[in-house]
Amino acid sequence: MLCWRRLCREMRERGLTGDPVARVLRNPSGFRVTARDDLSGRPATRTQAAIERRRRQMDKAMNFYLPIAEMSVNVTIFLGMGAAVGFISGMFGVGGGFLMTPLLIFAGIPVAVAVGTESAQIVASSVSGAVAQWRRRNIDLTMAAVLLAGGMVGAALGVRVVGALQRIGQLELFVTLCYVTFLSAIGTLMLIESYNEIRRYERDKRVRLRSRAHHNWIHRLPFKIRFQRSKLYISAIPPLMIGAFVGFLGGIMGIGGGFIMVPAMIYLLRMPIGVVIGTSLLQIVFVTAFTTVLHARQNFAVDIVLALALMIGGVVGAQFGAAAGEKLRAEQLRFFLAILVIFVGLRMAWTLVAPPGEVFSITSGTWGHQ
Amino acid sequence: MSAATGWARALFVSLVALGLLCTAAEAQQRRQRAVPVPVPGQSQQPAQKQDPNAPLSMPREQVQADVSTRRVAVTSNFTGIEIVVFGAVDYSRQPSPEAGYYDVVVVVEGTPTRLVARKKDRILGLWLNAESVSFQKVPSFYAIAATRPLDEIASEDVLKSSGIGFEYVPMTLGKGAEGKSEAEIKKFRDAVVRLKRKEKLYSEVEYGVSFIGRSLFRASVDVPANVTVGPFDTRVYLFRNGELLSRYTARLNLEREGIEQIIYSAAVRFPLAYGLLTVALAMAAGLLASTLLRRAG
Repeated sequence: MLCWRRLCREMRERGLTGDPVARVLRNPSGFRVTARDDLSGRPATRTQAAIERRRRQMDKAMNFYLPIAEMSVNVTIFLGMGAAVGFISGMFGVGGGFLMTPLLIFAGIPVAVAVGTESAQIVASSVSGAVAQWRRRNIDLTMAAVLLAGGMVGAALGVRVVGALQRIGQLELFVTLCYVTFLSAIGTLMLIESYNEIRRYERDKRVRLRSRAHHNWIHRLPFKIRFQRSKLYISAIPPLMIGAFVGFLGGIMGIGGGFIMVPAMIYLLRMPIGVVIGTSLLQIVFVTAFTTVLHARQNFAVDIVLALALMIGGVVGAQFGAAAGEKLRAEQLRFFLAILVIFVGLRMAWTLVAPPGEVFSITSGTWGHQ
Repeated sequence: MSAATGWARALFVSLVALGLLCTAAEAQQRRQRAVPVPVPGQSQQPAQKQDPNAPLSMPREQVQADVSTRRVAVTSNFTGIEIVVFGAVDYSRQPSPEAGYYDVVVVVEGTPTRLVARKKDRILGLWLNAESVSFQKVPSFYAIAATRPLDEIASEDVLKSSGIGFEYVPMTLGKGAEGKSEAEIKKFRDAVVRLKRKEKLYSEVEYGVSFIGRSLFRASVDVPANVTVGPFDTRVYLFRNGELLSRYTARLNLEREGIEQIIYSAAVRFPLAYGLLTVALAMAAGLLASTLLRRAG
């Protein structure tokens, strides 16, 4: 309740004159007068004001306005994200797009911008690996060219689909469903395979090579090409199809697609393990570069400031990750990677299944057109 | 029980007594003010000198206002801004700043943008975006500051006709609104307001306007960093006893500036070049990092 004496004292102290009754009527709680400085409406106590000022200063130092995502963010979050994902990608030798895009979406970046920007970051993280493989001549150029041709067609289609889904408001659903499907499928396969490998290793302490089936349906397709570096003479259709499929997923999900491409090259095309990594890296660099340009051109969805923050974090994180990865055996790494992949898949699935706290959502500005 | 009722009755009686006293005091003041004798040493005198044809009773009050910064630059370290709106009541009859004679409402309205509100529904066990209503124009920012709570200042009709209050935020419907009932659209409208309030883009400050002098008042409005750039309208309303006396509109502009502006316009005007540039930057960053770290390692 109102305290008359306190109010009078307060007014006297601050040199305010006038009719206390009218003042109280205007400001009935009475305490509002005491709790706030009347002229500015700001918190009156010194500590509160100091905390406020300090918070603003801190914000000012680390805040960046993302011109395309149209939001102001604390850049340390994205540097940290880049470093964490870079660490994992360095450790497991994967691009990390499948981790980064969901993280960006969770952080509130519009889905289209997350996908478009992440493809730019994958270019940066794959290019150094590709150059290293190039120096070691571990690349089948003919195969890379065929995959790339397919990849560009797939990416162009994927970017178009992103634009169309964005307009009807179902992009988030589609991206989430893609993630759930592919991450859980690939994760489960990897988990089973690496688990068997670990058990076999522990049983007879030696790594066995898989027995290869020498002829399957792939070898009966037309348009055969000789892939010299891979020592293969197979039809161009399967690599084209694989390239297109991975390119399409890259366009939609903001991933490089190495975790699909590599198993496909080993098990479907039967390429020698030595050239698989280099060839897929080279292909990923060019397809993601192409995807980035398309996202920028058609959906205006590439944020260069965000991409730069992710790149800087990623490059640093990858170095530490690579060092950590050398301490683990390949099948152990695959086992942990599989668990990680499944976890991200489940986390994405949870957003679809869990009852949302707020059933309404709004998209405005550039990202709200329909 | 009886003691409690006794206290309540005493409280009620004293409140009524206080109310009566105040009404009497105010009536007294008004009577004093109604006498058209200029108070010596007050600012009314020059105003009357300028206008010799003025009637004996004072002219109707008018409000004027302006904002502290007419142009706000949104740069890379934009963390929001506090806009100070200050104004004056011409021919103020207010005896003192604390009298509470006038009510002032300041409405700051941001650039209208397109907006889609979507509602999730459970379909086949999954929560999916189902219904949506798109709005052609929704103010990206809407802040109200007033001398006291809005419902005490004026009736709903008056507020509605002036577009003051969250229920009366001007929103133009777009596609997808046909065939939806009034009540359904209202749900989406309310959701927009609720979500915007959560983002601090819509706000209301009761007691956010204060009089500094008999006619001079000021209000401050916080604009958060996630605001959409563009022209802002600042509307100032002057009320007296629930009646709108005068209104005034001032404008300010939020503009992208510096590197932000360059990046944004490049991305929109030359998207192909912008995309190629991003890729070139990414490749350069990757190669630079690998060479630097190779040397270090």
